[in-house]
Amino acid sequence: MKRQKVSLLTALIATIFLFAGCPDSSSQSEPNEMVLHHALASRLTGLDPGDQRNVTTLTIKSQIFEPLYQYHFLKRPYRLVPLLAEDMPQISSDKLTYTIKIKKGVYFQDDECFPGGRGRQVRAEDFVFAIKRIANIRYRSQNWSIFDDKIVGLDKFREYTKDCKKAEDVDYSRNVEGLQAPDDYTLVIKLKRPWPQLLTYALSDTATAPVAKEAVDCYGKDIMSHPVGTGPFMLKQWRRRSYIELVRNPAFRGEAYPSEGEPGDAEAGYLDDAGKIMPFADRVVWTIIEEDQPRWFLFLQGKLDSSAIPKDNFSEVIGGSGKLTPEMKRRNIHLKTFLDPTTFFLGFNMQDPILGKNKSLRFAISRAINREKFIELFRNNRDTVAHGIIPPLMASYDPKIEEKGYARFDPKEAQELLKEAEAIHGGKLPTLKIGVPGTDTFFRQFGQFFERQLEAVGLDVEAEYMDGPTYWEKLHTRSLQMFASGMGATLPDPQDLLQSFYSKYWAPGSNSFNYANPEFDKLYEKIAVMFDSPERTELYRRMELIVLEDCPAVFLNHRVAYVLHHDWYKNYKPNVFTQGLSKYRRVDMKKRAAYKELLKKIK
Amino acid sequence: MTTYIIRRLLYTIPIVFGVLLLTFVLFTLVGGDISIEIAGKNATPDTIAEIRAEYGLDKPLFLSWDSQFINHFKNAFTFDFGRARDRELVVDKIKRGVGPSLALTVPMFFGVIIISVSLALVIAFVQGSMWDVLAVFICVAGMSIPYLSFILFGQYFLAYKLGLFPVFFSPDLPTAQYVALPVLIGIVSGLGGNLRFYRTVMLDEMRSDYVRTAFAKGLSTRRVLFKHVLKNAMIPIITRVVLAIPFLFLGSLLLERFFGIPGLGYLMIEAIGSRDYFVINAMTYISAILFVVFNVITDICYGLVDPRVSFE
Repeated sequence: MKRQKVSLLTALIATIFLFAGCPDSSSQSEPNEMVLHHALASRLTGLDPGDQRNVTTLTIKSQIFEPLYQYHFLKRPYRLVPLLAEDMPQISSDKLTYTIKIKKGVYFQDDECFPGGRGRQVRAEDFVFAIKRIANIRYRSQNWSIFDDKIVGLDKFREYTKDCKKAEDVDYSRNVEGLQAPDDYTLVIKLKRPWPQLLTYALSDTATAPVAKEAVDCYGKDIMSHPVGTGPFMLKQWRRRSYIELVRNPAFRGEAYPSEGEPGDAEAGYLDDAGKIMPFADRVVWTIIEEDQPRWFLFLQGKLDSSAIPKDNFSEVIGGSGKLTPEMKRRNIHLKTFLDPTTFFLGFNMQDPILGKNKSLRFAISRAINREKFIELFRNNRDTVAHGIIPPLMASYDPKIEEKGYARFDPKEAQELLKEAEAIHGGKLPTLKIGVPGTDTFFRQFGQFFERQLEAVGLDVEAEYMDGPTYWEKLHTRSLQMFASGMGATLPDPQDLLQSFYSKYWAPGSNSFNYANPEFDKLYEKIAVMFDSPERTELYRRMELIVLEDCPAVFLNHRVAYVLHHDWYKNYKPNVFTQGLSKYRRVDMKKRAAYKELLKKIK
Repeated sequence: MTTYIIRRLLYTIPIVFGVLLLTFVLFTLVGGDISIEIAGKNATPDTIAEIRAEYGLDKPLFLSWDSQFINHFKNAFTFDFGRARDRELVVDKIKRGVGPSLALTVPMFFGVIIISVSLALVIAFVQGSMWDVLAVFICVAGMSIPYLSFILFGQYFLAYKLGLFPVFFSPDLPTAQYVALPVLIGIVSGLGGNLRFYRTVMLDEMRSDYVRTAFAKGLSTRRVLFKHVLKNAMIPIITRVVLAIPFLFLGSLLLERFFGIPGLGYLMIEAIGSRDYFVINAMTYISAILFVVFNVITDICYGLVDPRVSFE
């Protein structure tokens, strides 16, 4: 009887393991297979190119889907080169009509949605369909803001879709004047007004990658987990909240690794694979690891090819000289540092009755914050002080902006400004509130830093800690007084960042400061239709100064990224405006195997 | 007994109704509108309106057959939880998470019970000895150490330093291998509280007259402990054990996150973080039902192990 009970218990546990799943034999590596191992710090929400814009989804989607243009992998400053386009577009003299020739011989991956399961050739109509689909209100894409009021007839098409009950009822054959496919390999886009970012932003984004209507019809709402693209990799497995695995797309036409770069690239080994056909890897696996500790251990065990440096492990990796520690060098780990196109700030809600009308108060707060100390405490001295909005990476960054002194730390001046602020307010200032988008120790330290800095000059401030969704809701409904946040550019053009100060984009738009300045707005409308020129750069700098003079935010830091990779991981040149980089990466299999031996020695 | 079960099941109706009412109030009235967040940066008002329509947030709250309130109940009773924020069916998410969660929690559950009940019996028998004092000290220490410390230490020392276990989930590994360390951590961290509880239960029984009688009659220690003491201590054990079963389905929030086990605990923590009310609502509802059902089962078990308990 007892033996029976034990057997029953064993059987129960065994059944549960069976229920939970056996090892995935299909995802086990072949001996000579080249597999890239990456980690994702947040979960993946979908693989539909037309929707979802977070960094994680873009990272994966851009390995599967390809837009018309991409940024050159090696050349700097960043420049666009054709991807699915045959060449750069022909642009009419009024800058309103773009004629783009599309590459022949580009095929969608093989998929059940096509007759016989064989992917068909990509046509210009697939690009038209992709953009019309985003315009379809019933599809409610996050990407619509890219095209809103830009292409002739597209807004009218969107209006038409409002009359359809479901996304599937929309007739995509309806004509949109500004989106034409005169033949299978020609795409013509007509704009309402010049749009300088059409190529650098819209047509180099996976949102405009060709979409096969057959796939949309076949998978319906589940298309977000059935991507059908043209890129070097295709989806093999996606275990949500766990891992995603891509494999080489056999229908991929092949793309040559760049043969030219910038000075120093050859010496760095970035041109070793020049002219070779990509992709190099057979498989790419991303494991979703939200916690720093396991991610770091896996990297040190050689189970991840690259890793960021967790804040708590910084001193283990980087020595006092700012270089790798001997321990990291012994492991043949390499460090890459590069400027990130980001600006972090403490924002003010300009519609707040206390802060919005009191410029002296805003400047007092700005002078009271020691940005160097902030960077030392929270970023291990990695970042640079933000003297303005435009990050140093941008060509339009003003190298003399530091001299203007908007980011200077001067507690005495802050105290004087506070007296002026109290006079404007008509008495003692009440306690001000800062919204902090997190509740863990890091965010508490973050909030306390601002409280102490401002307390030192005589201003009472209280940090309010909240979870991410609550923070965003408060920001969108303009109910935060001050808020800690940041912004990142998605293209090498600060227009992307400056739009956050345009009055038509008040919250819930990107202008979370709810800032308005008629002069700034006028200039923004001017630059919005201007192409790259010294005049436009001058205007960008003028707009930046207008904002700095109004002080809707205390600009804190521009991030400098520190990334580690093992010596077997090749062609790892940082490229901050391109996501689909796995095709360039290569693994030196011998060096990877040697690391296992090295680990034994270290132990 | 059948009448008793039916009566107890009828009691569950107002409880489930109360849970549904509470979730409706929390997620709909207090939680606020999530459509702006779903729409993303720079969303136009018509996109936001479309999202509101898709999730039924544009419907009246009450006072209509098609109100959000009525739909909330209707969907719960038909187990139609709709689609999560990422447009995947909530039911699919839950189905996928059950296996990994149970693979982690069931061995943990049995491990903790078997070890802590057996040790409690032995410790209760040697009450007052050095072994008893040592056990109580270890239990208190175990209860005082934060759960997260067990995880961080176990992952660092046993997995990374000694290489005895994998650091994290990997699709190449069999389930038993990647859940082994989290199960071990779960058992060790759970032993302190459980062992202390069962020790107290056993001590109460050991002081009973029938134990002295049994020993006086010359019965062996093993027979007294396992045949008599354990049987008479079953009521508090059942209460604790059966009521813990519903929580097995909820997985383990921290263990799943740190070891990459895609179970329901991880799903829940992620849903809370991203304010995915559709998932939270479904999980809360299912948990409430499980909890109520296992409460009934606990009561039935009392009658089965103790003839003094009557169903009348």
